[in-house]
Amino acid sequence: MSDLKQIPIHAEGDAGGDPKSEGLFTRVFDELKAFCRSRSLFMLHYCTGCGAIELPPAMTSRFDMERLGIQPMVTPRQADILLVTGYVSIKTLKRIILTYEQMGGPKYVIGICSCTVNGGMYWQSYATAKVLNEYLPVDLYIAGCMPRPEAVITGMRQLMENIRTGKADNWKDYYRRYDHYLGNQQQLFGERWQTPTDVIGEADHYGLAGPETTGPHTALLQQHQVPLQPLEMRLGSRQERKP
Amino acid sequence: MDALNLALELILMPLVAFVVGLFMVLMMRKIAARIQRRVGPPLLQPLYDIIKLYGKQTQISHGLVHDIGIVMAVGGYVAAETLLPVPGMDGLADRGGLITLAYLMMIPSLGLALGVGQCANPNGSIGIARALTAMLAYDIPFVIVIFGVAWHYGTTNLADIIALQQAAGPGGWGAATMPLLALAGLFSVHAMLGKQPFEIYVAPAEIATGPMVEMGGKFLGGLFVMQTFQFYTAGVLYASLFLGGGENWLTFLVKAFAVVAIPMCIAFLFPRYRTEDLLKMIWKWPVLLGLAGLWLIMH
Ligand code: SF4
Repeated sequence: MSDLKQIPIHAEGDAGGDPKSEGLFTRVFDELKAFCRSRSLFMLHYCTGCGAIELPPAMTSRFDMERLGIQPMVTPRQADILLVTGYVSIKTLKRIILTYEQMGGPKYVIGICSCTVNGGMYWQSYATAKVLNEYLPVDLYIAGCMPRPEAVITGMRQLMENIRTGKADNWKDYYRRYDHYLGNQQQLFGERWQTPTDVIGEADHYGLAGPETTGPHTALLQQHQVPLQPLEMRLGSRQERKP
Repeated sequence: MDALNLALELILMPLVAFVVGLFMVLMMRKIAARIQRRVGPPLLQPLYDIIKLYGKQTQISHGLVHDIGIVMAVGGYVAAETLLPVPGMDGLADRGGLITLAYLMMIPSLGLALGVGQCANPNGSIGIARALTAMLAYDIPFVIVIFGVAWHYGTTNLADIIALQQAAGPGGWGAATMPLLALAGLFSVHAMLGKQPFEIYVAPAEIATGPMVEMGGKFLGGLFVMQTFQFYTAGVLYASLFLGGGENWLTFLVKAFAVVAIPMCIAFLFPRYRTEDLLKMIWKWPVLLGLAGLWLIMH
């Protein structure tokens, strides 16, 4: 278990938190918000790999995550943490990215298992994505094959500490350097890869767009992008529906 | 002076409801944890959750009706709180009465249905269809119970009902004079709180929490606030109808918490019923109990 910054793979994201707001009242309010954020974490566990098997003991009576304010949630809209538990095949990674983009910020990604850190024992597999934080901004890795519930809990505590002190804001990095992440995604999924979420639009909306939000890869995306359309409402029998 | 007093009460009563409701939610989670041999969440966990949800930076709204739906869900209960007398404060209880209260308690579900409709998520639609069906189920015994109590005391004024019970002492409480109705009422309170075995419309593993599926950030926060009100309303209404309300704050809180604790202690031992089984079950037992209770008090 460790921060990204101590792991010898591309350490990314700027370390600083939000610019400190002025005024005593706003500062107290921000502190309160950060504290509540750290003490109430809804997690979406994306059980891709074998590491998922250590989560039930971490959640149930033996280690009881709820006493730390961590509860499982079932949809990306409600969740704060995306827990990626093990190797991610290329097909699964697409779903993970889709899920991640639907979560509301601030959001955190935890990579559990060695397989998310560097591919682990699937290093030579053609079908797995190896380094998770090339495709998503990972906040914390919990290494091990597989990490025991104690390690998972310790990792969670570290994340809580990072959130409380304002250090865990890697999710902004996804907006700031979207081009970089999209480039890596395109390398894996082909250049026609797209998600229904308008990440650039969101970055603009929340004032998180930086010089690296757009670039050659987003330009490529815009060439192929099919705008989302509402589903057509059709009544009638199956035969009539044929165009 | 009177108007000022009333205005103060109208502000204080929902606030009291919110704070008490937070502790009821905590109690529910603690009971669940203890039954599963866990420690459970810390004291202020429900508050942390709500502040966190409102403090989310990205808020995903699906449009105006989605927003209005949440406002209705919370607003319906806020309005209901002003009709529920607490010790020392009657609010609008003597003007509104039980029937208005029963109407107001339906608004949140309808608001939720509106809001979920705009999310256009199939899981949400399935969930809200089930929720409204469940409402149809538990509202029938609920209405029978309310009618029975009003018949028995000869008034729909909640403040009078409480005063009558308090004057008669514990032997004259609704639970003692109308035991069958009290039982049916407890049943429908359990279903109203939407906990196992009546939580098919949430069903996290199957339809991804149904109505809540597209709610994130402040929308989910609004629903968490709604839940605190829901617990409070159910507990206090039942205590007012059958347990003589509260003579003072201590007995008031003890009664309200006890009412909520009974279904919670049962709930976490059960899996859930399917919608049609839920309908059959509720339309059979509590309705029969309620009708038998009605027959008893009318003769
Ligand atoms: S690190 Fe080990 S336990 Fe975890 S996903 Fe990889 S192979 Fe499985």
